Amino acid sequence: MKKRYWRCFVCNDIHCGIAPPELCPTCKVLNGYVEISAEEARRILGGGPGVSLTADEFRAAIERFTAGHEFQVNPDREKVDLLVKGIFENERNHGLKYCPCRLRCKDWDEDLGIVCPCNFTIHETYKGVPDGECWCGLFVRRK
Amino acid sequence: MANLFMFHGRECPHCKRMMPLVEKLEQETGVRFDKREVWHEEKNADLMRSYRPIIAAKCGGQLKVPAFLNPDANDAVCGEMDYEKLKDWALKQS
Repeated sequence: MKKRYWRCFVCNDIHCGIAPPELCPTCKVLNGYVEISAEEARRILGGGPGVSLTADEFRAAIERFTAGHEFQVNPDREKVDLLVKGIFENERNHGLKYCPCRLRCKDWDEDLGIVCPCNFTIHETYKGVPDGECWCGLFVRRK
Repeated sequence: MANLFMFHGRECPHCKRMMPLVEKLEQETGVRFDKREVWHEEKNADLMRSYRPIIAAKCGGQLKVPAFLNPDANDAVCGEMDYEKLKDWALKQS
């Protein structure tokens, strides 16, 4: 199903999905989302807080992301350094944090599948593999 | 001599690890790989994309790097592997 955009009529949170959440995660209003166009969503987000992540902040974000999961950020610091460098190069040169170990095919929806972190839990290098890791090796199964 | 490609990414750790093995293989066997970096050279990226049906079929449906390709034989293999596996694949192509 095609994803669409939704805006909370109370706090202007933007949601992208096949349906809006019942409860706004920011202001907690119930049934507050109304459908909007992609252009309207872009304008609202474009005028929003200009949040950017440094490489260190990205590292902290993926550490928080892995907490409580069966996987963790690879303890191999050298490998992670190279990967994070590539992820940021790709964001600067190609627009999104694409995986440095795969190439985008220039299909927008398909290429979203290689934005880091990707859904690596379905990768053949991770799923059912005791010492599994994502394709690039940024995330490894926690021991 | 088969026309072999190695598609790689500058910041891909698997590619970085495979590069010395590829160079060793070239020295020992005379096999040659046309090495193409794909994240910083768009023409190389386009070349790799042009071989998507072959590469994706052998590499889990995606354009993964490193990718070793023999376009004439419609054969490819992707990812980090030991020297002997790479050698077997390359010699099988010639």
